[in-house]
Parts: sequence; structure tokens; C-alpha cells
Amino acid sequence: MTDKHRTWLWLGALTAIVLVLPLLVTNRFATDIFIRILLFAFIGVAWNLMGGYAKQLSLGHAAYFGLGAYTSTILEIRFGISPWLGMVAGGVVAMLASLPIGWLCFRLRGPYFAIATIATAQVLMLLFLKFRDFAWGAEGTTIPNFGDAPLMMQFDDKSSYYYVALGLLALGLIITYRIEHSWMGYYLVAIGEDEDAAEAVGVNAPRIKRDIYMISAFLTALAGTFYVQYIYFIDPATAFSFNISVEAALVSIVGGIGTLWGPVVGTVLLETTSALLQSWLGSSAGGVQLTVYSLILIAVILWRPSGLLGVFSDVYRRMTRARPPRAEEALLDG
Amino acid sequence: MLETLAQAVINGLLIGGIYALVSIGVTLIFGVVKIVNFAQGEFVMIGMYITFFLASRFGIDPLVSLGVSIPVLFVVGALLQHFLIRRVLGLGDMPQIFLTFALSLLLMNVALLLFTANYRTVHTAYSDESIHLGALYVPVAKLIAFALAMAFSGILWLFLHATDLGKAMRAAAQNPDVAMLMGINPHRVFAVAFGAALALAGAAGSLLMPFYPASPMAGQVFVLMAFVAVVLGTLGNVTGALIASLMMGIAESLGIQFVGADSGLIVVFVMLLLTLAIRPTGLAGGRAR
Repeated sequence: MTDKHRTWLWLGALTAIVLVLPLLVTNRFATDIFIRILLFAFIGVAWNLMGGYAKQLSLGHAAYFGLGAYTSTILEIRFGISPWLGMVAGGVVAMLASLPIGWLCFRLRGPYFAIATIATAQVLMLLFLKFRDFAWGAEGTTIPNFGDAPLMMQFDDKSSYYYVALGLLALGLIITYRIEHSWMGYYLVAIGEDEDAAEAVGVNAPRIKRDIYMISAFLTALAGTFYVQYIYFIDPATAFSFNISVEAALVSIVGGIGTLWGPVVGTVLLETTSALLQSWLGSSAGGVQLTVYSLILIAVILWRPSGLLGVFSDVYRRMTRARPPRAEEALLDG
Repeated sequence: MLETLAQAVINGLLIGGIYALVSIGVTLIFGVVKIVNFAQGEFVMIGMYITFFLASRFGIDPLVSLGVSIPVLFVVGALLQHFLIRRVLGLGDMPQIFLTFALSLLLMNVALLLFTANYRTVHTAYSDESIHLGALYVPVAKLIAFALAMAFSGILWLFLHATDLGKAMRAAAQNPDVAMLMGINPHRVFAVAFGAALALAGAAGSLLMPFYPASPMAGQVFVLMAFVAVVLGTLGNVTGALIASLMMGIAESLGIQFVGADSGLIVVFVMLLLTLAIRPTGLAGGRAR
């Protein structure tokens, strides 16, 4: 069996498992955790396109999550437009917003780029707190409940939400896979390695960064729409929550920055940890959860900056091959 | 109208002094160690809790507890640099950003677990006092905090310019390789710089306590302000950070006075974004890197 066959076999098995999972596990608490895992893995995948491959470490992706959430909600409540269309509209709004935001923030590099992106998300949150007339200000609003209305992205059973989130994650992974294997993927990695060197050999870094930021923003906005439809509530603190920005980056880094499956592995690890902590500790888990997250993050950065995905693939390779792996994955460390 | 304006400027300038202590710390670490310390605000928070517990358990005045918070945080900073930060130097943006970022998350949430989210205040004899200048008033606690903040900034400036260790630090900041050839031990210099930066944050915490409540998230505002000030004041430039901090304190205060109570931060962030749009290299010039 070649490596390629093995990959397809694993992918097929994984797809089969995630497709039948809601049929096997009907517990609402468990399904809720699965949905969170799929959603945050998707946000992580969206972040990873820019933060992972091009190493533009944004800490402000909540800006696009929030814009997606607000666009679809405003269209739904004010104009009765289905969130399915609102979702795409939100994505487009986020894409357009990423142009001026990127124009500003890409003037800075590294840590100061991250800080500038924090500022943009915060400004949007503070603005939406002020928009009382058309965006309900600080109180936020509940999303009208139409019962079982698939056309309005509302379902009676949680498993439907599960499949929507799964579809989003699949979309994110396919887009990532296509980009990874295109000229753009190589340009992104070149920019991530050394932007000046990439420009010196003719990579149009500003254009590539702008384009990937647009794609990343679009996908993040889709997650925002889904999330508010799922929890039936929106306010600026939820939609532009700094935690969204943090978790997007965290799951990617813990799993493996700049890899296709890294954000998925990272989300499964972190969200499972968080769910276990919550069931052990109950309501006091808030502080504990982030304490544990930050300890995991510190451990990963100090001992495995290429992410835990690499640990698993090492183990896997050891099991399937007699010889130890060669040093090829050093490339991942950037 | 003019009096409201003057009063807002006074309030802003006074709190700007505290922002300056935090910003100078951030810019000192950035200039010397070449990393951005996302956890700087959490060390202000730790300074606040040290001061709070000294005051509530032993009745020690916040100004006296400067004698504890400054040395404790200096040692914490030197140890952190030596055992933790040092391990990610030269490893690229991702580990450097997210190590201190994780540290910030960790300290905030450990504080939340240990001290709960309750606001803690220290009331001193001078907490409610103010000096009247005609129609204007100057709160004494804030005035003391401002004066001492300026004094500490001055001491740091003297240390950087008049002592051998300070000169070694500036040399290591300019060119670590050549500094090493001149017999400067960069790791010792880095540890002192990190310690000094945290000592300033600790001092800010103690100075804030008579008029500002401590909470696990209290450091966030200060670190955001510091980041903006450091970008505005040209990265790594101590004097630039000081001036930018004072300006931002005033801008925030004017925002609160004339735009709305919750608009202070908007004004500051918009200032940052406008600066990036118009003058991406900071107000004093230099490289935006």
C-alpha cells in the first residue's frame, strides 16, 4: 500500500465517522461539543490560511466573525432575508472590510501587525455598541425563532447544525488544500519564511497578502453567521469577542501552524480538554479552561513549535514504517 | 467650555503618566530584547494585587509598597527572561508573540482563580483629596502618581545614559553582535532590561492603587495603551513612548469628555489607525518594523 492509498483510506474512514457520528451520539451535550469543535476548527482553518501559511499573525479575526454575524442578522430581522443569503452577504462585507483594514495593518509587521488587528476588531466592537438604531447597541437582540425552518437556517434537531458546521469545515479544508497546492500556496509560504526575500525574487507580497486576507475574512464571516444562528442571540461582546480571535490562532498553533489539518487537530485537543474540565469543575471552569489553554500553548511553543500534528504523524510513521522518519518536516518549523 | 477642556487635559495628562510607565517598559523590552511583551499589563495587575494585599493585611500605604512591588517585579522579570523568554529569542514571530501572549492569558486566569473577578480598592487618606486651582481641581493621588511616574522615567533615562550597565544595554539594543565583541554579556543585559521593564509595570500598579480598582483584567487597558503609544512613539524609543503616552492620556480624556463616557478607547484606537494610515513609521520617524 502506498502512502497515497493510505491517505485516501484514512480520509474515507474519517469522513464516514464524522458523517454517522450524530446518528450514533444523540446526547445534546455531546452534539453541542461536536458542533463547537467543527465551528472552531473552521475558524482556525480560515485563520491558518493567512496566519499559518503567510505567517501574518492576526489577533483580530473577531472583526470578520462579527461582521458576518451582524450582516446576516440585520438582513434577516430588518429585511426578512434568509441567513443562507445573509451568510454570503456577510462574507462579502467581511471581504470588503478586509481591504482597508489590511491596507492599514499590513504597514506593520510581526507583533505590531497583531496589535493593529486587535485594535481594528476592538474599534468595530465599540462602534457596534454605539449603533443602537439598526444594530441594537449593547443589549443585542435575540434572533426570531421560526421553529423548524431549514430555509432560515433554523432546525429543531442539533444534528442539522452539526452537518452545516461540517459542511463549512469541509469547505475550508478544500479551499486550503487547493491553495496549498497552487502557486499561491508557494507564494504564501515564501512570504511566511521571509517577506523581503520573497519580494526580492518577484513575489508581489502586498497583493498576495491582500488576497489571502480577503479569503480568510470571507470564511471567518461565514462562521459568524452560523454561530449567531446557532445560539439565537447577538450582541457586540459576543460577535466581536476577543476570545474568538484568540481561539482562531490558538487552535492553529497548538495543532500545527501552516498545515492543512493542524487547526482541526488543535481544536479537537483544546475543545475536548475544555469539555472535560467543564464536566469536572462545572461553572468555575472559566478561569481553569484558559489557564490550561495557556499552559498547553506555552508547552507547545517551547517544545513543539511546529504543532502537535507533527507528533501524531511521527508516531503514525513509526508504526507504518520500520525506519524512523527523516528530517524532512523541519520545513514546518519556519 | 474652556475650563472643561483644561480639566480634561489635566485628567488625561495625569493618567498619561501611568501609561508612560507601562509604555516605557514595553519599548525597553522591544528595543533591547527585540520582543513585544504582550503580558506587560498583567505585571501592572500583579503590582496592584501586591499593593492591595500589603494594604489590606498590614495597612501599608501604597506608596510605601512601591518598595516591595518594584524589587519583586524586577526579580520576576529577570527570572522570566532567563528561564523562559530566552528560549524563543531568534525563533521568529510566532513563538515570540504567542509565548508572552500565553503568559498574559495564564496570569490573568490564575489571578481570576486566586482572587476572583471582584474589584479590589485601597482607600488612603489622600484618595479623595484634591488641590483646587481656580475652577480646576487636581486629584492628589493622581498627582502623586504622575510625579513619581515621571521621576521613575527620569531615573530610567539616567540609568540608560549615565551608567555602564545602561550604556551596555543601549549598545546591545543597537547591535547585539558588536556589543558581544566588546565584552558585553547580552543575556545579562537582557535580564536586566526585562527586570527593569517589569519593575516599572509594578511601580505603575502600586501608583494606581489609591484611585484605581484592581481586578484580574485590570492590566488590559494599560497594555493596549502602551502598544499604541509605542507604535506612535516610534518603536523602541523611550522618549517617544513617554511623549506619546502623555498625548494618549489627553486624547482619551478628551474623548471621554466630548464624545462620550465609553469613547476613550475608540479615540485611542482611531489615533493608532490614523497614524498608521498617515505616518506608518510613528510620529518621530524611523522604521515600521
